[in-house]
Amino acid sequence: MTHELLNGLSSAEVEQVRKLGTRLIVPSGTSLFRLGDPADRLFLIERGRIRLTLPMQVRGREEDILVEERSPGQTVGWSALIPPYRFTLTATAPLFEAEVIALPREPLRQYFAANPAAGHKIALNLAVVIGHRLQLFQTMWLREMQRTVEVRSA
Amino acid sequence: MDMLLMGLCLSVFGVVFVALAFGAAMRSESWNSAVQPELPLVKAAAPARFFSDRVAVPPAVTPLQVPIEVLLLQIENHVRMEQAAAESFLAFPTHALLHSKTTSPFVN
Repeated sequence: MTHELLNGLSSAEVEQVRKLGTRLIVPSGTSLFRLGDPADRLFLIERGRIRLTLPMQVRGREEDILVEERSPGQTVGWSALIPPYRFTLTATAPLFEAEVIALPREPLRQYFAANPAAGHKIALNLAVVIGHRLQLFQTMWLREMQRTVEVRSA
Repeated sequence: MDMLLMGLCLSVFGVVFVALAFGAAMRSESWNSAVQPELPLVKAAAPARFFSDRVAVPPAVTPLQVPIEVLLLQIENHVRMEQAAAESFLAFPTHALLHSKTTSPFVN
């Protein structure tokens, strides 16, 4: 499987990066990380799905509301590479268990320093992931604002 | 003829008597109002409304509350639909796609 974060890397480089990480099983219904937790690892999804949620007050109760769902080949937890290194969402395996590769920040940085060409490609891939999320949410935000404006000016 | 004249006289006399009594009553009323001290003003009573006491106040209209699980599902479906709409816009950005109306039942 090709991971979005490892696009463009040679198979040898992909293996080197994979070896930096550890495989984790996330049982169904359990959290991989929670909002506000220290972020020191990012995760490549190997199997299953990961739900990213944010807390919302619904009828006086705090409920985890789906923000995005990520599938095999995708990345979650890139807060591990961006200060202040705190997760801004909660990640959970929903109905079935998921399997991920956890890549710790420090070994990854050392690998980037030792292999700048591979580090550059990974950084560009990460920019694509973050950029896509940004564009997606600015579009969703605008559509919600548009509806609010229509309701208020009706 | 005598009886007729007597009746006519009595009628005229009755009319005059009633007129005098009415005039006297009106004069005494206006005199009374002139000498009596003015009563303090009281707050105007609420305007009379027909059947106002009999009409029950309608209860505040509250939307039928759906169970929270259903509401959460609706929110989740809404997020998924809006995300799909945003993905379509990002794949082919146009004003029309950006402002396309959602069919999400959550907001319709």
